[in-house]
Amino acid sequence: MKKIYSIGGGKGGSGKSFIAASLGALFAREGSRVVLVDLDLGASNLHTFLNLKNPPRGLDEFIDKKIAHLEDVALATSVQNLYLISSARCSLEVANLFYAQKKKLISAIENLPFDYVLLDLGPGTHFNTLDFFLTASEGVFVATPEPTAIENTFRFIKSIYLRKLKQSLKEADIWYLCRDEIVAMSRNGLTSPIDFINILVKKDIEQGKIFEDLLNGLKLRLVMNKVRGQIRENLGRQIVEVCNRHLYPGFDLLETINYDSRVYDAILSKQIFIGKYPYTKTAVALQKAARKLKQEQPIAIGLES
Amino acid sequence: MVKRFKDLNYYQLLQVSLNTSPFEIRQAYKNMLNIYEESSLATYSFFSSDERTEILAKVEEAFLTLIDSKKRIAYDEKLVNIGEVSRSMLKDHEHKKATPIYQINKEKTGSNYLQKIRRKIQEKGVKELSNLIIKDDVISGEDLKNLREALGVEVEEIFQATKISPTVLQAIEGNDVANLPPSIYLKSFLKSYAEVLQLDTKRIIQGYLTNIEEDHG
Ligand SMILES: Nc1ncnc2c1ncn2[C@@H]1O[C@H](COP(=O)(O)OP(=O)(O)OP(=O)(O)O)[C@@H](O)[C@H]1O
Ligand SMILES: [Mg+2]
Repeated sequence: MKKIYSIGGGKGGSGKSFIAASLGALFAREGSRVVLVDLDLGASNLHTFLNLKNPPRGLDEFIDKKIAHLEDVALATSVQNLYLISSARCSLEVANLFYAQKKKLISAIENLPFDYVLLDLGPGTHFNTLDFFLTASEGVFVATPEPTAIENTFRFIKSIYLRKLKQSLKEADIWYLCRDEIVAMSRNGLTSPIDFINILVKKDIEQGKIFEDLLNGLKLRLVMNKVRGQIRENLGRQIVEVCNRHLYPGFDLLETINYDSRVYDAILSKQIFIGKYPYTKTAVALQKAARKLKQEQPIAIGLES
Repeated sequence: MVKRFKDLNYYQLLQVSLNTSPFEIRQAYKNMLNIYEESSLATYSFFSSDERTEILAKVEEAFLTLIDSKKRIAYDEKLVNIGEVSRSMLKDHEHKKATPIYQINKEKTGSNYLQKIRRKIQEKGVKELSNLIIKDDVISGEDLKNLREALGVEVEEIFQATKISPTVLQAIEGNDVANLPPSIYLKSFLKSYAEVLQLDTKRIIQGYLTNIEEDHG
């Protein structure tokens, strides 16, 4: 069965593209057909981790309706079975994507004929980015051990919950039940999904429970990247624990990945990091992450509704 | 439905089992402070300062109650009276050690993890692996870690199955003598660790104790 993973997280430069490329290569190496989709429209660089300097084709052709099937612009990479749909030639920011274009793109992604589809997202919490993230059956978010990165990660996570909730309320046609309160609350910054649910429960207990269960079912995995030194080992575990306790219980620590300056070397020498340095701590952790993602069936229902 | 943090009872709050030892309560309390203190990287941007104060007060209260044997007995009584736990689940708090494995077997979540670990062990074959990895009479934390990882078992799973806290597990696997529990507890933890991985308990305890004596004796 096909699986879609999204790789996101609020902060720019945390390593989303690097991790997406590495996981893709590891899946492909085991014989699965894998496609990476660069959804960082406007600031794409996934191709660089795969040593494709100027991708000749890309997502722009699909958005501009030059081709009918998204898979037609999937480019072969130096790794057998690994393909890339690049957005290097998109002149568009994710914020400028029209609703209809986004819908069409999401449904094309869902229908890509591959075993694994990995979505590499851009930074920030624009609702288009959130919608791409929620397309996946499982979400992976990448953080680094700096206060600002962790702050952005929490913001991203809360935004994901809120977006999911809003989407589903609209689908169920009961958004009107709590719209005014939510809008009023959001004026003072980001509402917590828990407050949101509380409002809903107050209005309609049954519905509140249904939607709370929905949020309980979201499966989110954390990758702590660029970790240096011993003390940080625990950090990922702590963040996951806090999210499970104080938000909703679908969090899991996928892996802690060490900082390694050879990530940079590999790009310069035009090789894929995990291929060039397979025995480094960083590469071993990536292998573990890939194995864990692949093996473990989501315990709860996935993100797709 | 998830219980809100403020509705958790003290045991749930500190994430310890009902019959846990004072040593483990202290460990759990330390863990909680690590996570919830103002200076914690994991939570500094998660809570407002009001929320943090409230949480820390609750943690403090839970710790001070459970660490005091009289207060703890009264609290347990209260939990029984409100129907949150049944009296039969309470053991005598007087001579408490780390919970031995046979007790944990009866607990539902612990035994789920135990089964999960058993399955992994069966798949990989613990005999061959342990012969490969543990060759000496001296067994280091690293050996244990390598073996555990070779079996594909996570620290988290050991924690769930044995309720030995991740911090203690890390200290054991990291030969981190300064943070190891007193020897009576250490032995009992090593025993649970060995049991859960179906290793020769005597050999593991002996080997590990020799290891830390060699290092620091
Ligand atoms: N584990 C690591 N060790 C060392 N360098 C790393 C590691 N992970 C990523 N990097 C480097 O960090 C930089 C940013 O990584 P990357 O482009 O993957 O981040 P990103 O999250 O995709 O950023 P953006 O949000 O801008 O898309 C790159 O130069 C990459 O080589
Ligand atoms: Mg990127």
